[in-house]
Amino acid sequence: MKIRFWGVRGSIPAPGPDTIRYGGNTSCVSVETRTGGLVVIDMGTGLMHLGNHLMTGAFGKGQGRASILLSHTHWDHIQGLGFFPPVFVAGNQFTVWGPGGSPEVLEGILEGQMDPNFSPLQTLKNFSATFDVRAVRCGLPFDAEGLRVTCREHPHGSATALAFRIDDGTRTFVYASDVGQPDAGAPPHPDAIAFYQGADVLLHDTTYRPEDQATRRNRGFSSYEDAADAAIAARVGKLVMFHYDQDYSDADVDELLASCRATLDARGGAAIGLVPAREGEELEI
Amino acid sequence: MKVRFWGVRGSIPVPGRATSRYGGNTSCVEVRPRNGSPIIIDAGTGLRRLGKSLMEEAFGDGRGSATILISHTHWDHVQGLPFFSPLYRAGNKVEIFARQRDTHLEAVFSQQHDSPYFPVPMSAMQADMSFRELLEGARFELPGGIRISCTRLNHPWVAMAYRIDCDRASLVYCADTAPFADILFGREFVTTPPALDQPLPPDVAAELDRMRAGVVALAKGADLLIYDTQFTYEEYRLRPHWGHSHPDDAIQIARDAGVKRLCLFHHAPMRSDDDNDRILAKYRGVVAAQGDPFSLDSAFEGLEIPLGDQ
Ligand SMILES: [Zn+2]
Ligand SMILES: [Zn+2]
Ligand SMILES: [Zn+2]
Repeated sequence: MKIRFWGVRGSIPAPGPDTIRYGGNTSCVSVETRTGGLVVIDMGTGLMHLGNHLMTGAFGKGQGRASILLSHTHWDHIQGLGFFPPVFVAGNQFTVWGPGGSPEVLEGILEGQMDPNFSPLQTLKNFSATFDVRAVRCGLPFDAEGLRVTCREHPHGSATALAFRIDDGTRTFVYASDVGQPDAGAPPHPDAIAFYQGADVLLHDTTYRPEDQATRRNRGFSSYEDAADAAIAARVGKLVMFHYDQDYSDADVDELLASCRATLDARGGAAIGLVPAREGEELEI
Repeated sequence: MKVRFWGVRGSIPVPGRATSRYGGNTSCVEVRPRNGSPIIIDAGTGLRRLGKSLMEEAFGDGRGSATILISHTHWDHVQGLPFFSPLYRAGNKVEIFARQRDTHLEAVFSQQHDSPYFPVPMSAMQADMSFRELLEGARFELPGGIRISCTRLNHPWVAMAYRIDCDRASLVYCADTAPFADILFGREFVTTPPALDQPLPPDVAAELDRMRAGVVALAKGADLLIYDTQFTYEEYRLRPHWGHSHPDDAIQIARDAGVKRLCLFHHAPMRSDDDNDRILAKYRGVVAAQGDPFSLDSAFEGLEIPLGDQ
């Protein structure tokens, strides 16, 4: 699998000279399978840039297809959809897997984003591509472009967010963004650890420094310490930091990275690789 | 008064190296009268940083008051509001003006906070927040003798242009709008571009003429005209049905209204800083060659323009 980061930021896009190195677009990650299949995870503003890139290939000719996995429907995970050029090309096919319990509910939520008060598109029906919306059932694996996907519902403030475990038969990638840690000082949840267990790569929410998280615990995000603890407990190969707070500058994220490395080393995770998600960069698994 | 740009982008925020000089935040302009509280035009993502800066002032102690004028409720003009810190501080007073919709404005704005989309409900905003519905042609005054007027623009589901008269100066904000030709925007979704340069049905042509005359009248003699120039002329010819204009059209409006300064605004997401430099240089050449009596700028984040009494 080849992972590529198109948006790594949380909550709201953060343009500006001090977010250039890590990037200011909201969450979007692509996974290319060994056979050239495409799975997209989350549809933040990074999706527009992925879309522009895809238009130079089969998607530009209406011959593309992809699965899209949606962790949850907060703005920063869906706001790129209306700006994703491949959905305006007839012939392209998308299968969207996400929360909501039923396809009707999930489609209704996505449709709300296109409400004419807010979007000139007015409705999802103005997409030319096939846009097949399906609701996931946690515990029930499904197939996305030949990858086996299972999901788990994590607490996320007053809501929940799905984490995805993606398996191509030899390697495993786990995407766990927007992971709430409701109880200060509590160890990682055993079910979450079981879900991450032995993954080659664990992408985990590292929205905050612990001291910033302490005053904003109700928002439902992790600190780099939570991510490091989870990576160590689940014995993963590599940890990817993701979903940085909108107020963190590149220098802040540099510091987050150094602190996360030190935490891993101090707590028995010296063998775990650490990668900060950076817009435009790739990670081969 | 002083005008400051916090977001100059259209459609969607675009972080990154290619946009770091002009800025990637969506539409938000701050107008600071010499005496009196800030007037904010549009609430795109630029509003977040403006909010942080306001929290350094009276808003931080819950003693601030602000007026927000919303051109229309498309995402790029409202998406910063849930991230506007002064709204979460009790004691602050924020009055939001926008054109009347089918549903009450407060209901429209609170949709942005609905639980599938946003973790914080609008009820968590403890400031004294009020919504005022406007129709085109409305005129009203704010404390300190500040006069506001508005007119309708040519944009899907209707956008409003605003004029602010204050401190013996005036500014006019025109975003979002298409040229007043080729197509009359209403509620219908336009799938395919119309034929250009064709005679329009007389009623449509008359309505567009009326709208354009309204904009020219609103901008009459303004010290500063901020105008939607999302497209270049060539791009407009390909996408006339998207509801945005181009510099040639903005310049013609500026001429007809006799403004003193024109500012290009609402840059397309994929417009790089270098593209913006080239467009500005080209049209500064056009304005100079025509001997137009107004100066031309292109809005960038952080640009400050003093107008009238300081
Ligand atoms: Zn998020
Ligand atoms: Zn706009
Ligand atoms: Zn608009």
